[in-house]
Amino acid sequence: MKRYDLIVVGAGPAGLSAAIEAARCGMRVAVFDENAKPGGQLFKQIHKFFGSKEHQAKIRGYKIGETLLAEAAEAGVEVFLNATVAGIYLDKELLVQRGEVMEHFKADTIIIATGAAENMVTFEGWTLPGVIGAGAAQTMMNLYGIKPGQKVLMLGSGNVGLVVSFQLMQAGCEVVALVDAAPRVGGYGVHAAKIARCGVPFYLAHTITKAEGSNCVTGVEIAQVDDDFAPIPGTEKHFDVDTICLAVGLSPMSQLLKMAGCNMVDDPRRGGQVPQVDENGETSIPGLFAAGDVSGIEEASSAMIQGRMSGLAAAAYLGFLSEQDKDNRLADLEIALDSLHQGMFAPGSKGKTIAKTDEGIAVSQSLLKKGYLDDADLERFINRSDQTDKKSGIHPVIECTQNIPCNPCQDACTRGCIKVGKTITALPRIDAANSCTGCGMCIASCSGQAIFLVDEDYAPGYASITLPYEFLPRPQKGELGIALSRSGRPLGYAEIIDVRSAKAYDQTTLVTIKVPVEQAMTARFYQPETNAAGQ
Amino acid sequence: MKSINDRSQDIGPFVSQTDDAIIICRCEEITKGEIRQAIHDGMFTVNEIRRYLRAGMGLCQGQTCGKLVKNLIARELNVIPDQLDPATSRSPMRPVEMKVLGNEEVAHV
Ligand SMILES: Cc1cc2nc3c(=O)[nH]c(=O)nc-3n(C[C@H](O)[C@H](O)[C@H](O)COP(=O)(O)OP(=O)(O)OC[C@H]3O[C@@H](n4cnc5c(N)ncnc54)[C@H](O)[C@@H]3O)c2cc1C
Ligand code: SF4
Ligand code: SF4
Repeated sequence: MKRYDLIVVGAGPAGLSAAIEAARCGMRVAVFDENAKPGGQLFKQIHKFFGSKEHQAKIRGYKIGETLLAEAAEAGVEVFLNATVAGIYLDKELLVQRGEVMEHFKADTIIIATGAAENMVTFEGWTLPGVIGAGAAQTMMNLYGIKPGQKVLMLGSGNVGLVVSFQLMQAGCEVVALVDAAPRVGGYGVHAAKIARCGVPFYLAHTITKAEGSNCVTGVEIAQVDDDFAPIPGTEKHFDVDTICLAVGLSPMSQLLKMAGCNMVDDPRRGGQVPQVDENGETSIPGLFAAGDVSGIEEASSAMIQGRMSGLAAAAYLGFLSEQDKDNRLADLEIALDSLHQGMFAPGSKGKTIAKTDEGIAVSQSLLKKGYLDDADLERFINRSDQTDKKSGIHPVIECTQNIPCNPCQDACTRGCIKVGKTITALPRIDAANSCTGCGMCIASCSGQAIFLVDEDYAPGYASITLPYEFLPRPQKGELGIALSRSGRPLGYAEIIDVRSAKAYDQTTLVTIKVPVEQAMTARFYQPETNAAGQ
Repeated sequence: MKSINDRSQDIGPFVSQTDDAIIICRCEEITKGEIRQAIHDGMFTVNEIRRYLRAGMGLCQGQTCGKLVKNLIARELNVIPDQLDPATSRSPMRPVEMKVLGNEEVAHV
């Protein structure tokens, strides 16, 4: 039987972070993951992350994964792939399936970081081929390069549903509708706005009543629901689709912890069965820790911090780190974790209806119901006096209206045009005293693709709008296409006057369109004309 | 918990529902109606449903239907799902072929 100081189960962001910290303290560390590739969910996440610099904000998920792997290798962590932990027994013994062999391993400390599994909902036809989890769709597209279908309906408006809808469109699928039984969009408004301006209609307070087809999905029927979530007869709508994606939440895969005999609790706010843990993730069994989604569904950014905390705690448990050093280092991590737990989407705010931002501005109801800001919202958020004291010429317009833990836009602008301040959940403000050069770094750094550069004085009667564009093929300068509104409504022809891509933009293309000046505050997306008929 | 272990409680008669034919456990092809009927036969826990019907004993080991079965039991018993225990977790966590399970490397280093 092989022995280690620490064995980590799961090579996702939580597990890798834990292993890195522990190995850096001098521990002999092994990580087991049942997949052929390490990284857990991270390598599927091709979008830029939220947060602050310390949370690796504006970096795409897969790049964070690459960094973690390099750090783990450097710290001397042994990562075993295609290694499924099948059982956990007394005195921290693990049974691991590797290929055709069952092997036993033993460790003095164990960290379980097995992540979560997707929830399902049932309706007539839900077992037909073509009904898939959103995470499965993401795996197909981003790990294996397979398009899940041509026409897709997404159920679930949380961040997973919103992010995967956008990625489906990036992969060339048509997303015919976004449906959620809840009366309001559950995820970040900026994610919703990104897909709304591509023309995806939102059906809140709706659910799927049936998947149509005999051998595979050929269509889907949705209906409005009443206050008890029961479908209202007569409100049915049909869509031709070949794929139905379900993004209806995740459940912690906590079986190993239960098997080990940890005290478990059923906590709906954490996603289901989770272990009772202290602030560093230690369970009721000394030396056995849990980190990441397995101890409560959150996100990769917090999973990495939790992982590091449990790694340090494991090191201190075995004496590889003094209690004082542990406390000092944990204090910093606690602050970083706490800053992610603030704002409108904080774990404590779950299920609460929020009427106003921290700044006292009434939140956009249109954003919560349709996925985009309406004219009245623009008055409150964008045309605030602190935003519009602009001189003539190019200036940023920031359409980020919810208190989310995010601030890369502030760091991006070396001219000091954008201010978030110390509290990273504050809404970004424009400091009109500083003049914008139009460098575009703010657009490319914004994880929510919520920043635009507008120049009302581009040419007599015309404005220019620079917007983030993450689709292929890249539009060409001189091309004529269609300008779309925030709701994806065609506004008329738009000419591309500039296309910029740079290493610093990290694969976000900055497209500048020329539109009639009255569309300066309405045009927010560009569609090549060839697609116009299809979408 | 007390009410759930009380087998004498009257949960009313089994009344068929229009969507009883929907499959809940895909691996073992068990329908909603079969599970609801089993509850009325006296199977008040996820473990009992597992043994009685094999729901959650297939390839995915209840990864998909575990929560669904729990919600069905909760609804029939008129309790909130958190009051019910999920199925017992046992090794092997994932389905494994017998020849592999038997191929144990006991004296490794
Ligand atoms: C579609 C989608 C989009 C997301 N977008 C974001 C985002 O933009 N920003 C963000 O911060 N977060 C995002 N998240 C959330 C984030 O991915 C997760 O919170 C994070 O990956 C959790 O990390 P983890 O290490 O706990 O688990 P995971 O990343 O799930 O890793 C767990 C690993 O453990 C392995 N494992 C499980 N059981 C066993 C076993 N018995 N034996 C061996 N190995 C095992 C799994 O194979 C997996 O590799 C998103 C999630 C999804 C699904
Ligand atoms: S374009 Fe450049 S200068 Fe202007 S606000 Fe954005 S980052 Fe600042
Ligand atoms: S505007 Fe700033 S705070 Fe808002 S999503 Fe973009 S980067 Fe984050």
